[in-house]
Amino acid sequence: MKFKTDQLLKKLRISSFIYWPIFVFPLLWGGKLPDQIVGWADEIKIQIPKVWTDEAMEDWELPNSNPEFSAKPVSEEFYYNLPERVVYKTYPVYHPDHEPEGYWEWLHQQEAEIVLDQSTLVTEEDYIKAGELLFGYPIDTLGALINTQHVRNKDFYAKTNMPLTPEGIMPFAQWVVAGKGKVYLGNLSCAMCHTRVMDDGSLLKGAQGNWPGDKAFAFAMESDGASERGVQGITNILFGSPFAEGDPHGKLLASGKEAILAAYRAVPEGAFGRQGTSILFPPQAPNLIGVKDRKYLDHGGLGQHRNIEDMMRYIAMNQALDFLNFYGDYNSIGLTKERLNSGEPIFFPGTYDRHSDAQLYALAKYVYSLSPPINPNQASQLSEKGKIIFAEQGCVTCHTPPLFTNNKLTPADGFEIPEDHYDRYDIFDISVGTDHGYTMKTRRGTGYYKVPSLLGLWYRGPFLHDASLANLEDLFNPVRLEDDYVPTGFKPHDVKTKAVKGHEFGMELDAEDKKALIAYLKSL
Amino acid sequence: MNVNFLISLVFLIQFQAFCQKEKGSDPIVFEIKNAGITVEGTISDWEYEISFDPKRLDESSIKGVAYPVSMDTGIKLRDKHLQGRQYFHVDKFPEILITSKKITTKGKGSYMGVFDLTIKEVKKEIEIPFMLTSKGNTKKLIGDFTINRLDYGIGESSIVLGDEVKVKVNINF
Ligand code: HEC
Ligand code: HEC
Repeated sequence: MKFKTDQLLKKLRISSFIYWPIFVFPLLWGGKLPDQIVGWADEIKIQIPKVWTDEAMEDWELPNSNPEFSAKPVSEEFYYNLPERVVYKTYPVYHPDHEPEGYWEWLHQQEAEIVLDQSTLVTEEDYIKAGELLFGYPIDTLGALINTQHVRNKDFYAKTNMPLTPEGIMPFAQWVVAGKGKVYLGNLSCAMCHTRVMDDGSLLKGAQGNWPGDKAFAFAMESDGASERGVQGITNILFGSPFAEGDPHGKLLASGKEAILAAYRAVPEGAFGRQGTSILFPPQAPNLIGVKDRKYLDHGGLGQHRNIEDMMRYIAMNQALDFLNFYGDYNSIGLTKERLNSGEPIFFPGTYDRHSDAQLYALAKYVYSLSPPINPNQASQLSEKGKIIFAEQGCVTCHTPPLFTNNKLTPADGFEIPEDHYDRYDIFDISVGTDHGYTMKTRRGTGYYKVPSLLGLWYRGPFLHDASLANLEDLFNPVRLEDDYVPTGFKPHDVKTKAVKGHEFGMELDAEDKKALIAYLKSL
Repeated sequence: MNVNFLISLVFLIQFQAFCQKEKGSDPIVFEIKNAGITVEGTISDWEYEISFDPKRLDESSIKGVAYPVSMDTGIKLRDKHLQGRQYFHVDKFPEILITSKKITTKGKGSYMGVFDLTIKEVKKEIEIPFMLTSKGNTKKLIGDFTINRLDYGIGESSIVLGDEVKVKVNINF
């Protein structure tokens, strides 16, 4: 339906050049212009799909690696009863040393301004623009991660090594003005985790983010003087997965406040312990540029991505209705099924309201429209040599051009592929042998790792699903397979050294060939 | 001594003399194009039975069995994947079989054989030209053929991996 209307729009745009007088004049003559035009506009208006239907939610996600504990989302009825999100105008957050004179007082004089009226969205471009606005719009003003006190404290920036723009703006959070004098710090916009401050200070929206989010959260808890029970409680809400073998998160909680804070601090920029994942096995923040072409979402491929509706479902679920999911009888915020369905609102960030379907559509369209920056690493003799090595080494089989992924799921060590998965999903049935923690022991784990696209490697990092390697060179360095290796990216808080196992491709090449291969990888 | 027994004994001896299974000494070599580059691999564990008389081709036969578990392409993980369910599925189909149905001469030691090739329980008739030469006591058979891997359900269609696989066999007996 959407496709048809897109086409229709295009046709109309072309033909209206020539034919518009013929269209309009008879209408004017007939004296019924307004009605007709409205009817006509309705007809060409983009049809917004309804995405959270019980039927679609049933099998959109892959089962958990421990299938009894696969996520059970809230019902269609529950979902559509939630109020829609209202989008107020936001303002940038400055490092205290860079805040313009009088800015803070000025902010408090501003009135609330609602900046998105979805009834005015007509064309594809309208939706993309609205999507960009939504991408930078926080869904939380209750201090889900950080609050006003933190960002107005210089120590916050120093302790977290927070990237800033040349103007001194901290681009990962925004001020939301919800009424005169009501200035709240907004958390959890997409931009918080999916924006990268580049070396030259420019912002690259949608790229693997470099928000040191878990360090920031640790700072927040510490400076607020959170109690041990408080720290345990929130950590359990975010990552608890008592059904996982060995209950690693239960063990983390039992190790006490200092150890938990250390675990948060251990997560590097470029990775983030998103809810349902882990700070013990933190997922790399993915690059959203090019996500339109990926068939699975999340490192474990939890969400299928067959069409725009699936992308909309992904956004709805992960911002942050997955807190309401049941995993077997387990719910991470301690809900019972009775409480969930009692009709009382649930005041947990991200769960008491929702994006409208039109907002989701806009967000998805925007994410699809993201395009890569111009690559400064142009093809050279060296990279051409690397291209041949890439084929010879069999990289192409998994990282198949032009997407540089075959869009398949590889099982992690220890995961037995259920027979019916071969028909349902795109499976490449060999384990590359990387750490299985994320996909075997978290709420989002499926037992698989998807083959990631290698596009845009030059502006990304750290690498691998758990961001354990800071540089491409490290990936091909056999030293990383040894137990006395110090990972250059993510290193668990409770060890001094750790082998970064698996993905043992291209490791036996000589130094020259490795250089060529890396030159090629950086040209993608 | 009973005659039947004697006859069967004779048969048995004959069978052993002419049709003993031998281990292939040179590995079977296969080639496939991957992203424009020819990848070579081998299957080193295989056996054959040859009963061949150039003057009695209709009574001659060539049989072979290869064990894909011995596959080697130079990248271990790739071998493991090829042995997996989506390619050779060696747990379920440990053997690749080939059996001649008809052999005709093309002159000067060169022959054309019609064979049944069975991979993963898919049996297909293929034609294989081969050369048979002898030097002193040893004979040498050299044959080349090309198959379409998709005919046998070996992997799926792919934009980088070719469909055609060239196979080279070399037997010294
Ligand atoms: C608090 C940080 C955070 C926020 C906020 C956030 N994301 Fe993400 N996002 C992540 C992380 C981390 C992952 C990887 C999760 C995983 O693999 O388990 C991810 C994964 C994704 C993916 C899957 C991409 C892929 O290739 O697998 C998409 C799409 C996505 N996010 C879009 C969005 C959009 C759109 C928004 C805003 C509506 C958003 N995210 C908000 C951190 C965040
Ligand atoms: C069997 C399939 C397969 C082959 C062959 C393969 N890869 Fe990968 N590659 C993967 C998977 C799966 C991952 C993700 C592993 C993880 O993060 O746990 C990955 C990750 C990567 C990454 C990190 C990407 C990121 O976003 O962090 C790079 C770089 C990479 N591969 C390059 C190569 C190169 C170069 C070769 C050949 C020398 C190669 N790969 C061969 C499957 C493969």
